[in-house]
This record gives sequence, C-alpha cells and structure tokens, in this order.
Amino acid sequence: MNAPVLSVRNISKQFGGIRAVSDVSFDVHKGEILGLIGPNGSGKSTLFNCILGQLRPTTGHVEINGKPVDRVRPADLSLLGLGRTFQQLSVFPKMSVLDNIILAGQEHEGTMLSRLFGKPDAGLTGKAEQLIEFFRLTPYRDTPAGSLSYGQQKLVDAAMAFMAGPGIVLLDEPAGGVNLTMLTHLKERLMTYNIEHGTTFVVIEHNMEFVMSLCTRIIVLAQGEIIAEGKPEEIRANQMVIDAYLGG
Amino acid sequence: MAELIQILVSGLAAGSIYALAAVGFTLLWQASQTINFAQGEFVMLPAFFVLVGMTVLGLPMWPAIGLGLVLSLLILGVAFKRLIVEPMLPHGTLPLVIATIALGLLLKESVKELYGATAQPFPAVFPQTVFNVAGASVSIQDIGNLVVSMLAIGGLQLFLNRTRTGRCMQASAQNPAVAEILGVNVKRMVMYTFLINAALATIASVLISPIYLAKFSNGETLGLVAFIAAIVGGFNQIRGALVGGLLIGVIDNLSALYISAEYRSAMPLILLIAIILLRPQGLLGTPEGRTV
Repeated sequence: MNAPVLSVRNISKQFGGIRAVSDVSFDVHKGEILGLIGPNGSGKSTLFNCILGQLRPTTGHVEINGKPVDRVRPADLSLLGLGRTFQQLSVFPKMSVLDNIILAGQEHEGTMLSRLFGKPDAGLTGKAEQLIEFFRLTPYRDTPAGSLSYGQQKLVDAAMAFMAGPGIVLLDEPAGGVNLTMLTHLKERLMTYNIEHGTTFVVIEHNMEFVMSLCTRIIVLAQGEIIAEGKPEEIRANQMVIDAYLGG
Repeated sequence: MAELIQILVSGLAAGSIYALAAVGFTLLWQASQTINFAQGEFVMLPAFFVLVGMTVLGLPMWPAIGLGLVLSLLILGVAFKRLIVEPMLPHGTLPLVIATIALGLLLKESVKELYGATAQPFPAVFPQTVFNVAGASVSIQDIGNLVVSMLAIGGLQLFLNRTRTGRCMQASAQNPAVAEILGVNVKRMVMYTFLINAALATIASVLISPIYLAKFSNGETLGLVAFIAAIVGGFNQIRGALVGGLLIGVIDNLSALYISAEYRSAMPLILLIAIILLRPQGLLGTPEGRTV
C-alpha cells in the first residue's frame, strides 16, 4: 500500500480531568473515504478539531503527506492540501455563490498591490464555474448564498472545500440538517468527485446510513478510544459497536 | 422652482457629507459590531488637526489636510481600534457603546480645553463662487462637496466589490470564523475598516467645516444625523447609508423652507420613528436574524 496522506499519531486530548481522546492512531491513504463515527461524547469532534489544528492535542501529532503539522495554523492547512467543510453553515451569506467559491480558492497572501490591482476573481471564475456545474448549482450562480436552502448551502460549502484543489477533504457532519433528496445528491457528487479526482475524504457523521453507503472504511470511537475499524459491513456486524451505540 | 433647485442642491450637498459619516457607522458595525457613538466627534476632530497644522506648524492648507488625514488614521483608526474596541468588544456591544459615548465626550471636552470653545474659521477647499442654474443660485462649494463625497463613497464601493482585498473585507464582516480558516487575515481586514472610517471622517470634516466652522460641539448634531441616516437607509448596507444621508440632507433643507425652521431638526427624528415603525431594516437594508 502507498504511503498515507494523513496520519494521526497517538493523539490524546485532556480537558482538565476529562480525557476526551485517548491515544488514537490511524492512517488514511490516497483515494480512501474514511468514516469517523461514534456515539455522542465519543471524542470524534475533539479528534477532528485536533486534526484541523483548532485544538492542540495534549500528546501526539498529525502528519500530512509525512510532514508533521503541529505548528501549522488552521488557515495554512489548505496550502498543504487539506480542505474542509463545516458542521455549521459556512457560506458568506450576502455574496453570490460564485464569489463564495472564488473566495475559498484565492490565495490570500500576495502583495498589497496584487490584492488591490490584480484580477478581482484571481483568475478563478472558470474553475469556480466548473464546480458550480459539478454540484448542479448553475441556476444559483449569482444568487446570494444566504438565500439558498440549507441543503444547497451545504453543496456550496462542499464546492468551497474543493476549490483549492485539496488532496484531502475533511467533511464535518455533511448530512446534518439536509433533506433526503439533497443528501442523495450530495453523496453521489462526493463519490463522483472521489472517483474522478482521487481525492481522499475523512467524514465525521451521525447519519449511519450516509456513512455506511459513502465510506470505504470506518473507524468507530467510544469514550475517546478506537473500538473498531473496518469495512462498513464489518462495522455493521461488530458487537462492540452495537453495544457502544446501544449503551450496552 | 428656482428656490426648490437651490434647496435640493444644498440639501444633497449636506446630505452627502452626512452619508460619509453614516457609511462609517455601517462599516464599523458590519466589520466589528461596533456602534461608534463618537462618530460625530470623529468628524469634528480632523478639522482641528488641520488647523493645528496650519496655525501651529505654519503648513499650507493641503499639507495640513494631509497631516490631518495621517493623524486621523493613527488616532481615530489605529488607536481607537487597539485601545478601545479590542479591549471592550469581548465584553459585548453595550459596554462598547458606552465606551464610545465616553470617548465622544472626551474628544469634545479635550478640543474645548485645548483649542477653545469659540468656532474657528476653516479654509474652504472650493471657491465660494455662486453660479446660476435655471434661475437658482448654486454654489461651487455645494457641487464640490457633493462630487467629492460621491467619489469617496463610489470609490469605496468599487474597492469593496472589485478588489480581492475588498472581498476579503466583506467575507470577514459576514463570517469571520470561516474567513479566517480560508486564510483571510481577518484582523487586518477589520483594521482596514477602521482606517477607512477615519479617512471618511476626515473627508467629511474638511468638507463640512468651512460651512459650519470648526467647533468642539459640531459632532453632537453630526453624529446624531449620521446615526439616523444609517438607520433610515439600512444599517447593513453602504448604499443604504448613502441614501439615508442624502434623504436627511434634502428633508432637512426642505422642511426649513416649507414647514418651519423651528421644526427643522425634528424632521430627521420623525423620519427615524416612521422608519423604525414601518420598515425597521431601513429603506435598503435587509432583515437580519441573530441568535441570542
């Protein structure tokens, strides 16, 4: 198997006397769709935030393509090829769908002159329009993102995550609050993107059906520890997982 | 008819200056949830920076205006953000509002103590000449004030909509947490907003002071009118602040002529009450929900 694109190495996170994540390690390989599931309070959100650099782990570290990213700001992770979607809606509500997606892709550094006098779209309109078409948002290209439905805004969020051309995308509860039709559409688009571009996904999600049908491998957390890992059908049949969810 | 044209032009000219201050209100609110009740004093103060440059340092008018702009950027932009807004904002909007009211009083009383209570003549940027349009006397100063204000606000709109920095400023105002994660330097964008507000206040000060003279108390009326203009137009829209400013300028002048000079200053307040009752989001504003 090729080298992992994302490695979580012995991550633990302690909040006062509570150990939210306990010595978790796993690798994610190129093109995988990894699901990270667990009952409420299992530590998956904490682990996710540690991977994204929004929480500093008590011990352990994260590597992207073999490079430790402990000291990388969350904003700079995109430069290392890590994209993300958000649990809460993350669009800029008064900007058009097109502008939202362009903003997600443009490099925010550069000189003051280039940011003042360079092309306002940073030459990204074509690429943004491709993503708009891919997610079938073309009728809403110039619509303020805030006026779209919740599910459509989730699609905009996904398009924004893909705009910088990341190798890995972390999807934070993409199914949350999305209706069934839109959810099927979102899942189909993510799977197509994965096949066409070889992009790796890590999905944190409560919706079991969504995870089971989308992911190629699943890791189950309970009380901050990995209790199971395997293909969806293996996880579905795992007694420890059933017990964890049923409180057994 | 001639009288009406005259009143309209001078109303628009005064209104455009109110609009400059009102736009500052909306910018600060959108970028950092700051309602700056010292905004009137922010317009009053740069005129005194210019006067200090001219009378104490002996500078000609334009270099003195340049000095006034630099001092405004440093004091009303950088220092205001760093010393008042940043420490107060984590405590909520209300403590910050009270802090800006206190700042307004401090600025007003400081100018009174240091420069005196009497109104000071201020050099006119435009010639005082008056020309005739369809029988109406229109001053170059009014036209100049209107043009400069419109250029400033139009330029700001272009900057916000047509440059990458402008879009990043909008993104920072609309969803700062996500903008930061996307790599936008949100703190810098907020600082730009404060600097723009200081620059707009300086322009307004230089334009309005030749008409009303430079006086420590000028900010009282200006701040109130600009605040009303921002609410009337829509607190979350720059073009709303523009429309609100122009509307109040025109209504103010029209009511002096056609209703009563005594009730002139009541008209913006009546308009404010009407707007709050009938269209609380303002004429061009959009309703906003907030989670409490």
